[in-house]
Amino acid sequence: MVNGINLLLQFLDSFAFIVLAAIGLAIIFGMMDVINLAHGEFIMIGAYGTTMTYNAGAPLPVAIAAGVAVTTVAGLVLERTIIHRLYDRPLDSMVATWALGLALTQAARILFGNSLNSIGIPLGAISYGQFSYSLYRVLLAGVAIAVLVAAYLVFTRTEFGVRARATIQDPETAAAMGVETGRMYTITFAIGSALAGLAGALYAPTMSVVPGMGSSFLVEAFVAVVTGGTSVLLGTTLAGGVLGSVDALLSNLYGTFVGQIGLLIVAVAILRFLPTGLSGVVETVRERRERDAA
Amino acid sequence: MSATSGVFRVVDRIRARLEGPNTIGNSRGFWLGFALVLAGAFAYPTFVSAYQAGNTALFLLYGLLALSLSVVWGYAGILSFGQVVFFGFAGYTFGIVSINLGSTLGVTLAIPVAVLIATVVAFLLGYFMFYGDVSGVFVAIITLVVTLVLQTFMAQTAGDAWTVGSVALGGFNGMPGIPNLAVGTEATSVTFRGGVFYWLVLSALVVSYLGLRVLVNGRFGYAMVGIREDEDRVEMLGYDIRRVKLAVFTLGGTMAGFSGVLYAAWGNYIDPSVYSLTFATMPVVWVTVGGRTSMLGAVLATVSIEWFRQQLSITGSEYAMVIVGLLLLGVVLLVPEGFVPFVHRKVTEFRSDPTEGIPDAPESPGEGAAE
Amino acid sequence: MSDDGVSRRRFLAGGAALAGATVAGCSGDSAAGTSTGAGGTVKLGVLEDQSGNFALVGSPKHKASLLAIEEINNDGGIMGQEIEYFDPDPQSDNQRYKELTRRMIQQENVDALWAGYSSATRETIRPTIDREDQLYFYTTQYEGGVCDKNVFAVGPTARQQLGSVLPYLVSEYGPKIYTIAADYNFGQLSADWVKVLADENDAEVVDEEFIPLSNSQFGSTINRIQEADPDFVMSMLVGANHTSFYEQKASAGLDVPIGTSTAMAQGYEHRRLNPPAMANIYAGVNYMEEVPTDRNTGDGGFVDRYYEMWPDAPYLNEEAENNYFSIYMYKKAVEQAGTFEQSEVVEALESGITYEAPEAPEGESIRLDPETHHVDHHMWVMKADDQHNVSAVEDEVIPETFLTETVGCDLTSEDEETQYTPQDYFEEAG
Repeated sequence: MVNGINLLLQFLDSFAFIVLAAIGLAIIFGMMDVINLAHGEFIMIGAYGTTMTYNAGAPLPVAIAAGVAVTTVAGLVLERTIIHRLYDRPLDSMVATWALGLALTQAARILFGNSLNSIGIPLGAISYGQFSYSLYRVLLAGVAIAVLVAAYLVFTRTEFGVRARATIQDPETAAAMGVETGRMYTITFAIGSALAGLAGALYAPTMSVVPGMGSSFLVEAFVAVVTGGTSVLLGTTLAGGVLGSVDALLSNLYGTFVGQIGLLIVAVAILRFLPTGLSGVVETVRERRERDAA
Repeated sequence: MSATSGVFRVVDRIRARLEGPNTIGNSRGFWLGFALVLAGAFAYPTFVSAYQAGNTALFLLYGLLALSLSVVWGYAGILSFGQVVFFGFAGYTFGIVSINLGSTLGVTLAIPVAVLIATVVAFLLGYFMFYGDVSGVFVAIITLVVTLVLQTFMAQTAGDAWTVGSVALGGFNGMPGIPNLAVGTEATSVTFRGGVFYWLVLSALVVSYLGLRVLVNGRFGYAMVGIREDEDRVEMLGYDIRRVKLAVFTLGGTMAGFSGVLYAAWGNYIDPSVYSLTFATMPVVWVTVGGRTSMLGAVLATVSIEWFRQQLSITGSEYAMVIVGLLLLGVVLLVPEGFVPFVHRKVTEFRSDPTEGIPDAPESPGEGAAE
Repeated sequence: MSDDGVSRRRFLAGGAALAGATVAGCSGDSAAGTSTGAGGTVKLGVLEDQSGNFALVGSPKHKASLLAIEEINNDGGIMGQEIEYFDPDPQSDNQRYKELTRRMIQQENVDALWAGYSSATRETIRPTIDREDQLYFYTTQYEGGVCDKNVFAVGPTARQQLGSVLPYLVSEYGPKIYTIAADYNFGQLSADWVKVLADENDAEVVDEEFIPLSNSQFGSTINRIQEADPDFVMSMLVGANHTSFYEQKASAGLDVPIGTSTAMAQGYEHRRLNPPAMANIYAGVNYMEEVPTDRNTGDGGFVDRYYEMWPDAPYLNEEAENNYFSIYMYKKAVEQAGTFEQSEVVEALESGITYEAPEAPEGESIRLDPETHHVDHHMWVMKADDQHNVSAVEDEVIPETFLTETVGCDLTSEDEETQYTPQDYFEEAG
């Protein structure tokens, strides 16, 4: 019953969802050790910004940009007021951001009601035989890859990126060498928020836009970040790949329930047996090869 | 004369076991206050309605759940979102066994069986994690994911296929018809409801609290606190930290399990919402607000927060959740050590006379330590 | 049909007054049968979700309850007494429901209680309801089967809802059915009913998929439907996450007709989603805002009155009408019993109360079945077109038959507190 094209498209769909949901959270966690349990609400802000802009008449690309912008601003404001006090306090940051998420969800409900009118999914379907798949959702896989590549370039090829990675690795030495770590954190948080907003903006047309919508991203995001391991970008990519395949394969064969449970169980197994995460495994292999080559 | 001095000696010996640098409240003043509050708490059902007593009993059994996390997290440094896993397992087991067996004796038997199951589950999960050297935030994530798996799984256990004996698990709709707690046989028994149930929960809470104080102030407690502060050093001192962690985690599971039994009996019902993300986070919230290093804080915070949330819900105000969120946020940011350690620190600072050049002997390390 | 004679009413009224005077002296935590008859207000408890996950569907229930109460108060109240209501917000949290239900019964001593959206909520509070013998109206459409002396489940059951739309779709499109349902009790039991009804209508369920409530990604589900190539799909998806299915299926170009008991009527997807997401969807319901009866959409009808009181409300949904008419039925029963004493009111409710509800066309009423405490609803098959215009394609009265005919639940002669499932009675369901 495994139709190859179906499986491929489902995998791309899953991969995109996991990567886009996780990348913002991964950057923030990797950089600042802040576990942002309000990540779902940031995604919701992006979705709301996009939907409201679109419903006001703007074309979809503009609306998406607006959604990202709104979330970036929100992220900056929250960082300056609340989040910067929580750096290197991962457990406190969990409770604080969870409380923040609670307040944000209800605030959205009070301000905008129980639901917004959704944007329809653009671009129609690709048909193959008796099957068809939403083109938009498949393209999101391309967007996810583009985001990963862009992040990679920023973090490795720009000066900002070098300074950021220095701050991640050793904030004290980086500060001693003249890096303004405070500003690094603020900018990085803004980037993480923007990416969360992007996830919300991109998926808003495909989902029901309600105040609690962020929670449907949270589990995948979390699990991907933690199984990804120490290297932010490599980890997110690998997590997206591995977990996406598990989800797609199991859903294809046995249905979404098994897919969901399977994903979670695989995540637990990875956490238990690969303590440095998926990227940690890659790093270990690379180091060993370098050693053997030397 | 000798009789009273004998009594004092006994009291002092008891106090010596209960006190130590690992707990807040080591003065006579503290114990007097404690006794006073306790007396009031026991007298409570006599001057309020059965509804109020039952309602407060719920908060108290949550306090027991909070205590279980307090000892695991506050004292051994293991942040676990999984306390509700053991809570739920025990609750469901209690329901299954007590309804299947039917009689009062059946209910009596169900209690230790349920707590045992919770203990075993905690042991297995703890073994899985600690003997795989999982620590820190990863323990938190694994326990959280286990909770979510259970929620998704239990929610779909509707239908006749999912029946244990004569009891359906009930899926999303839960398992109704769980009997009240009772101890004894058909001939002679005590059934716990209303005020009597309240006294049971209160007693369990007090016994647990005092028992934990003894534990935490003993050698085992030092090992726990050591692990919280610096695992590697403790390991170098020759302790098998994995065994200590497993023991603490299992103990936490037992306590959470008993709390779950009380919960199932209180509402005569249990459902998969005990495994929800919200409920799994609540113990973390309670303990954070109360003070990670204070067991008393955990209990007080639980009762206060839950009472407050209930009051807000009664008002029907749409701002309820916003208020709760902002308040919690405020506490974490402004009083990061938690309320009780904060108050304790202020009290001791106030007591050590600031006008003298040399302050009083500093409090032992570990007491009131933040984070 | 009512009326057991004036003399009985007078006797009951006298007895109630006497009982009321005696009981009024007792303390607050006595059993909930306390009468508020002699001088005072009648207290009703309305526990509906105004925030949290179910606020979308719970909020209209809350609003419609308040509409009914206001209308009755403006009209002189019940037996001359003004209705006082308590409406705290359970926040879609079953724990809150439990706490607030206890409070409603033991502290506020409500004469009747309306509470809860999901079946889980009903089951959470049912132990308390049964222990305290509290008169309770459960007004959401649900899987059916509750035979409980204290519970009046006045929403349509799965058998009634699916029984209205499934036969229509079989005759229109063919006998191959594919079921998708939310992966919990309601969804699974509804899927069982689909199998029973398919068997009764010479149709066949070729496959089923159950989807966890938290899931919002339907790529593989859509592919599987395409592979099965059914004549139509029966959808019992529930909640905001599942709403995404309709958008995703539309964008994937899946246009198979879909019959549903959950979409459109409760969560007004046809207003919230862009066309043509809900095109070709057939809802089998007792009520939607678009139901074309005079009492509903006519001038000054139910819809008009609702929006006059709540101009910012986004929709008037299925459950809201259930809350509305059940409050009026309660009023009728109290007037018939002549007292607020709960056991008497329950007896009156078991005498065959009818009401001219908005779901019923002019000249017709709906009837509360005495033996099962359920309602013989006027069911509608409502179809959404490409532009999301909703119109009725069929309607008929469908009585509740599972409990009456198959199970034999008779609460007038035997007190019970059970929920029955089709698997125990139908081979096809198992």
